Amino acid sequence: MTAPAQTAEPSAGLSTATKLLIMLVLGAAVAVALGVYANQHTPTGRKPYPLFFSGMIELKVWFATLALALACLQLLLAARLYGKISIPKQEPAWLGDAHRLTGTLAFAVTLPVAYQCLWGLGFETMNTRVVLHGIFGCAFYGAFVIKVLGVRWKGLPGWVLPVAGGLVFAMLVGVYLTSAVWFFTSSGQALY
Amino acid sequence: MFRRVVNAVEIFAAIGAVAFVILLFANNPGGAPAAGSVGAQLFSANCASCHGVTGGGAVGPQLSGGAVLHDFPNEADQITFVANGRGIMPGFATSLTPAQLKAVVDYTRTDLAK
Repeated sequence: MTAPAQTAEPSAGLSTATKLLIMLVLGAAVAVALGVYANQHTPTGRKPYPLFFSGMIELKVWFATLALALACLQLLLAARLYGKISIPKQEPAWLGDAHRLTGTLAFAVTLPVAYQCLWGLGFETMNTRVVLHGIFGCAFYGAFVIKVLGVRWKGLPGWVLPVAGGLVFAMLVGVYLTSAVWFFTSSGQALY
Repeated sequence: MFRRVVNAVEIFAAIGAVAFVILLFANNPGGAPAAGSVGAQLFSANCASCHGVTGGGAVGPQLSGGAVLHDFPNEADQITFVANGRGIMPGFATSLTPAQLKAVVDYTRTDLAK
């Protein structure tokens, strides 16, 4: 795998293994903390900001769709950055920034969705889909923390960022499959 | 220029993430605590997250204020609906006993209807 060169900068004297361990622990802590909050917090059952949608769930489904679309675009940009695809032939100078922008926007779009899930609904166990959705949702933010730390911490092995990014993407796909795909195919609700 | 825009977006997203965490803990609208009856407790545990703690509606439709009596004049129909579910509404036949189904339906038709 040909990865973009990373700056081999000794960061606070920590070994690579220590950095990876810290990243994993912090990511797991965030995921577990969100799960504990969802489980312990009394769900409000409120729909705080349906905006122009007919209901909160419709807003969440379309925001999640936008997040996944941005994440797919980010994946394509990453593939070009790592030379896995060669379109365009000449790598534009803005490619890295576009990759950052799509990822940041995808993350930002998930926040109002996750907020209503955690604050309004909590961790539900009524069926397998709902349980998996809660687990994927919490794991998504844990994986995101790992990815951000991987970006900010220099001197890590070249495989760390693709693996962390792939993990974030996989968790988002899991969230989407257990919510929006179900909504579009099985819920019988209005689409927007 | 583009990089400045990206940096600004990242800062806004970070602020959004901080606000997200603060609001999770600070934004407590309150609401009626679950009363002591079995039906109330079952409602709180199984229904309130979608229909609201007072049955005022949220992801699911409003049940309070007699709305459920309007939709289900016949209690048996409501019990069947709650047991089997439909569309976005999950069925509770496997997670609640017939007695529990009746208790929670009774709660929505009496206490929440007031």
